[in-house]
Amino acid sequence: MTTMVQLDGAARWFGAGHTRVVALHPTTLAVAAGELLAVMGPSGSGKTTLLSLVGGLDKPSEGRLVVDGKDVGSMNPKELALLRRRTVGYVFQDLNLLAGLTAAENVAIPLELDGRSVGDARHAALDSLASVGLGELANRFPDDLSGGEQQRVAIARALVGGRPILLADEPTGALDSMTGESVMRLLRRHCDEGGTAILVTHDAAHAAWAHRVVFLRDGRVVDEARSASAPDAAVPGATAADATVSEMAGAPA
Amino acid sequence: MSVRYGLLALLAEAPSHGYQLKSAFEHRTANQWLLNIGQVYTTIQRLEQKGLVESVSAPSPDDDRREYRITDAGRTELESWFASPVVLDEPTRDELTIKVLLATAAGSVDVSGLLQRQRRASIEQLQAYTQRKAAADPERDVAFLILLDALIFRTEAEIRWLDACDARLRALGMTGAPAGATEEGDR
Repeated sequence: MTTMVQLDGAARWFGAGHTRVVALHPTTLAVAAGELLAVMGPSGSGKTTLLSLVGGLDKPSEGRLVVDGKDVGSMNPKELALLRRRTVGYVFQDLNLLAGLTAAENVAIPLELDGRSVGDARHAALDSLASVGLGELANRFPDDLSGGEQQRVAIARALVGGRPILLADEPTGALDSMTGESVMRLLRRHCDEGGTAILVTHDAAHAAWAHRVVFLRDGRVVDEARSASAPDAAVPGATAADATVSEMAGAPA
Repeated sequence: MSVRYGLLALLAEAPSHGYQLKSAFEHRTANQWLLNIGQVYTTIQRLEQKGLVESVSAPSPDDDRREYRITDAGRTELESWFASPVVLDEPTRDELTIKVLLATAAGSVDVSGLLQRQRRASIEQLQAYTQRKAAADPERDVAFLILLDALIFRTEAEIRWLDACDARLRALGMTGAPAGATEEGDR
């Protein structure tokens, strides 16, 4: 099992002395390749700080953070930019697609910024769009796509060129429940195929797609929930769920 | 209640024996509400006493041999059941709500810990439902998926309620937030 993200006592604070504000207390956490990790917690608990550190948008004030084998704390701005272009992809609640560009052009941006040729970038963008089921809509502009389709374009952009780590900040926030679910299926598939994803969400039903859910509170990881090992077949067996159902139905034990 | 109308709905489709009703009911509800055959016969007897179903075959001391069909009164009753929304007359007296209320009032209980333990258990339950949902076939397992959605949304509602309790008590300083905690917004 390869560790893709490793925090060893990594912390982030702002200011100094008595005005110092701790956004994330020293935190130790490892995320493996193939793992979908959800992070839950009230506003202000440090979820977004954690995501920004892993995404190379920010650096830890102390402790160590290793992403894909590289120490983020010792990176210079150029190396951080490289990490963002080649290793981690971001998906936000607000889609941040450029309205004047087609879906394919939006998805190609990270590769073009990385110096790939236009033709090469377009080819990879079309592949990435096809993998999220949007191959047919590659030449549409964002305004001509539904909210769910736009979010899938954003995921295609985050993963384009084979970036292994996907960071998603409330990616289903603006979507209805069925559309949000299709986004979660995509994230889960990315991980089932060996990728890694960290999802920040308030939505428990979406967090439940993750293998593991960590709970943050006041900048600390206070607890975690784990999914039972392998997914079972759809045919229900005797589980704790059955007891709940029987109680609801008022059936005799 | 639901078993009674469930059997009535099945009998509205075709006359049936008790054991046929049992397996059809279980199949329709994705095998999540298992009935015992005694419960089926007791329910049928009550329906028969009310004139909502009747025995097709000659009376027999052996329950297994009797076939039942729905009466006109039964159809009317069933139609009005389908036509009426389900309204809870009073809040369900569930253990979790009572536990949280009592813990809050007690003052000596770690309410924050209680809420978090429950939250973890509920999320793990949701994860189990979600795994089964991910493995289900959207076309073949429709009944199962509708049922799973019900369970998922109820569990989700419970978690939202836990979050709301937490926020409410925290605002009053009643959950014992750790020392040195900050109220800084997400960055």
